[in-house]
Amino acid sequence: MAVPTDVIPRRPTLLFIVVLSLLFVLMSFSSQTRYIGETRTMFERTVMTIFSPVPKFVNWIGRTAQDMHHGYVDMRGAVNENVQLKRKVATLTGENLRLRQSDGDVRRLRGLLSYAERFEMETSMAQTIMLDTSGRFKSIIIDRGSTDGVEVNDVVANANGLVGRVVLTTRDLSKVQLITDSNCSVGALVERTRRQGIVRGEGGAAVELYDIPALADVQPGDRVLTAGIDGIYPRGIPIGTVVTAEPGQSLFKEIVVRPAADFRSIEEVIVIHTRKIPPGVVRYAP
Amino acid sequence: MRWLRFSIGLLIALTLHSLLDSFYPNALAFFNPYVILVAYYSMGGNILGAIVAGVLAGFVQDAFSNAMFGLHAFSLTVCAYVIAYINARLMLRGTLAFGACLGGAVIVNEIVIYVLVNILVRQRVEMFEQALLIKTVFTLLFGMLVYQLLVLFLREEPIDATRRQTTW
Repeated sequence: MAVPTDVIPRRPTLLFIVVLSLLFVLMSFSSQTRYIGETRTMFERTVMTIFSPVPKFVNWIGRTAQDMHHGYVDMRGAVNENVQLKRKVATLTGENLRLRQSDGDVRRLRGLLSYAERFEMETSMAQTIMLDTSGRFKSIIIDRGSTDGVEVNDVVANANGLVGRVVLTTRDLSKVQLITDSNCSVGALVERTRRQGIVRGEGGAAVELYDIPALADVQPGDRVLTAGIDGIYPRGIPIGTVVTAEPGQSLFKEIVVRPAADFRSIEEVIVIHTRKIPPGVVRYAP
Repeated sequence: MRWLRFSIGLLIALTLHSLLDSFYPNALAFFNPYVILVAYYSMGGNILGAIVAGVLAGFVQDAFSNAMFGLHAFSLTVCAYVIAYINARLMLRGTLAFGACLGGAVIVNEIVIYVLVNILVRQRVEMFEQALLIKTVFTLLFGMLVYQLLVLFLREEPIDATRRQTTW
């Protein structure tokens, strides 16, 4: 059914154009700040702060449901026993389950702690509450924010290796750019030959190691570590393992690296509070 | 009242976003709850309301992803405007009409993001066609299911459907 065109307002079209222009400016500004690694726009932080209770609540619900599920499993095992034995078995089963769970947690946390002790810098533990690896922009949200001392450009790792760096903080949450993000670059070196290059995310599951000359000795299986030359990532954190190292069409090799950290199952992470290079030094131009 | 319902819808979309992220981090590659919300809201034909809804939903999606801030707001605003503009002229009602609008919205949304990423970041989006197809199919299926549930249980037509706004 058609509606007469004279009653359809024209001003919304003007508003639409204005809104799109403003959003385009906002995006351009945002795309520039991404590269220099500085804090994101105030507006982005505000929106994230306003809506941060939602993912936190969902996370809490998930944990509670998991606890309830464990309790239910414990109860079902006890129903088939006699009253006295049931209580005993329920207690022991519950205790056993908790111990097993604790044992796993302790082992995992011990691994993380011993890893964290390797760093001279101050570190803190955080838990992942959101993981966005669907598109080419890959990030996680962790449950530590500026009140816990987390700052932009703090480095995030787990027991397996490098995860990424903090790009935005609110009071109680932080956004971490993963090394597989298409805008992420890390100064790296091959552990065996100490050859330095740059690891860049490609938006996929693997990352690529650039700027390695075609004649350099790099072979599949070589471990790649952070080189500590980019002013953000400290030296010596495992990035991954070389999967393929082919001679490229130019002067450099084409090297694909499989990240050491498994980004599909990140739970606890270590936030390394690195020493920041003052902006004056970064921007200094004689 | 309609903004209250939109806010609740937005919170549900964000909840779904974070819930799916916990179980399956690639879920947003398959379907986008924010597009469903915006398409549903824009079916009312209120162009101004649709623009505001697109911007708000996009900002929330941007805040919890690592894309350039404003990218999703831009694309969702375009979708919202197109759907509302069409619905201000043609009274599209029913599940099939909603499906057509939603399918179109997903395609427009992905194409706008593709173009903007190419312009601003100068990066090639790999497997774009496959991703577009998968996202369109799954978003369409999920969106029409939600629409059916709203019609069946709440006897709900798209927000503001009966009160078309002609001036503002």
